[in-house]
Amino acid sequence: MSLSDALFTAFSIPFMGRALLVMLVLAVVAGVVGVLVNLRGLEFISDGLTHAVFPGLAIGLVLGGTAGLVPGATIAALAGALALTWLDRAGITPDAAIAIVLTATFSVGVIVVSKSDDYAGALEALLFGRVLTIPPDEVAPLVVVSLIALAATALTLKQQLFRAFDARGSRASGNSALALDLVLNGAIALVVVAAASTIGTLLVLALLIVPGAAARLATRRLWWLFPVAALFAAVGSWLGLAAGFALSVGAGFDLPAGATIVGVFVVGYAVVLAASWLVQRARARRNPDTRPPSGGAARPAVAPAVGALGEGR
Amino acid sequence: MGYFERALVAAVVIGAGAGFVGALVVLRRRTFFAQALTHGTYPGAVAAAALGVSVPAGAAVASVALVAVMAGIARIRRQGAQVAAGIVLTGGFAAGALLQAMIPGLPVQAESLLVGSILTVSDADIVLAASVALISFAAVALVGKEVAFSTFDPAGFRAAGYREWPVELLVLALTAASVVSSLPAVGAILAIALIAAPAAAARLVVGSFRGVLLAAPVIGAAAGVIGVLASRALAVAAGPAIALAATAFFLLALGISKLRGLPWKRVDIPVETAEDARIA
Repeated sequence: MSLSDALFTAFSIPFMGRALLVMLVLAVVAGVVGVLVNLRGLEFISDGLTHAVFPGLAIGLVLGGTAGLVPGATIAALAGALALTWLDRAGITPDAAIAIVLTATFSVGVIVVSKSDDYAGALEALLFGRVLTIPPDEVAPLVVVSLIALAATALTLKQQLFRAFDARGSRASGNSALALDLVLNGAIALVVVAAASTIGTLLVLALLIVPGAAARLATRRLWWLFPVAALFAAVGSWLGLAAGFALSVGAGFDLPAGATIVGVFVVGYAVVLAASWLVQRARARRNPDTRPPSGGAARPAVAPAVGALGEGR
Repeated sequence: MGYFERALVAAVVIGAGAGFVGALVVLRRRTFFAQALTHGTYPGAVAAAALGVSVPAGAAVASVALVAVMAGIARIRRQGAQVAAGIVLTGGFAAGALLQAMIPGLPVQAESLLVGSILTVSDADIVLAASVALISFAAVALVGKEVAFSTFDPAGFRAAGYREWPVELLVLALTAASVVSSLPAVGAILAIALIAAPAAAARLVVGSFRGVLLAAPVIGAAAGVIGVLASRALAVAAGPAIALAATAFFLLALGISKLRGLPWKRVDIPVETAEDARIA
């Protein structure tokens, strides 16, 4: 198989084309939402949401078959978004509380799945996704869910950025912190819903975190973060699908498509990381006495310290 | 000793050890870091199973590599510790899934690595968990004062002339060891429940550092035993049952601490007349 076969011709097969369409929509939405996740430091809350969606998927699968996946996940995700917004505002050891919520909901999901007949197969499909076997009539609901998330973020984008950089100023000028948090967590939850039924609950987090982090490395301009993140996610999904196809058909490995996409994401992040490190070194060598200017988009949120390794930089 | 008794012993040992280390993790706010470790060790476990060496050894090697990667990413400007944990977490999981797909005929089921199988733990697993628990007790007994100082007052700790990285490294190593040793019982996904929930529950009802360190292992062990018993009584998977038991303890503690906050004792409003004031 030639390179262009894997990169272009493969997507004329219906199931590959469908996978690409869904992944591209998801990538753009997740890239935009992911930048806000990064700026607000909501990584762990996103992780909590990915796990909170799991029992919804499981119950939906048991009650309504594969058609029940999206409705079940949506209900669970919105409930999870409410619970996590409340926990975040209650302020009692938020990171431990998130960990407890996510394992508890996940356990409920595993128990529900374990009561169904095809335990191992169903669990793996829910955990690692089934992007290549999306039925045609499920494409529309997934796209709609993603677009609602995109619309919710786009409509409040200015206020969200204000809140990310100056939480007190944002409150003082009349924006409701609760409403903004609910909208953002709801948007994350909807992205998780759409992505969970395609690349699987465990790998959704990559879609939300990696493009935003890569964009932060690539540019210092605030408004460039969104297109860069979306582009990174889109190219990563396309290359991931192509690589999975090439390896599965050409080389005979039976790779799960979702995991391949995430693998490509992480490799892409490593490449961006190395490139930005080299650029910074070259810049430092050219004018050694000037410190690099502080970034236009510093990470502003008062996030719970997770590792003190990088604090104070 | 039958398999069920062995599972109960394992639940006590692993619950107590994870609860103890979890107290440090929760008080030092390293929960997301611990979560990344639990997920990231998955490819190590898969690779070890494929190579035929012991699963905890593979997970341990993977966790050392992960800590190095996370420390590196966290030091880069505009990235930070949360980004590092998130990337390691998802990257580790994807790598595990890919490895599993590439190596056909693995002797170990993916599900048992992910959600654990405490009913099939070996004596070696129990011995490993017990020694990890003993080492962490010993470490905290020896340098507990420094750990407490650096946990509650990092700035004062530095100002007093101590260096922070040895304490940080000690806690990281204990966290990784505890994650690796609780993998057989509750698996990669639910291990964080045994680390976070008992400590968070203990913290709500006990006021002192020493108290949390004592209460968390007891709660962890109790959650383990209740989970195993419930899994037999209700015929559900043991790993999720243990995680839910730990969550129940947290909810109980949350309820107790809320009830305690209510004004139970009626105190008479002091009425002081001018006469009383003159006499007193």
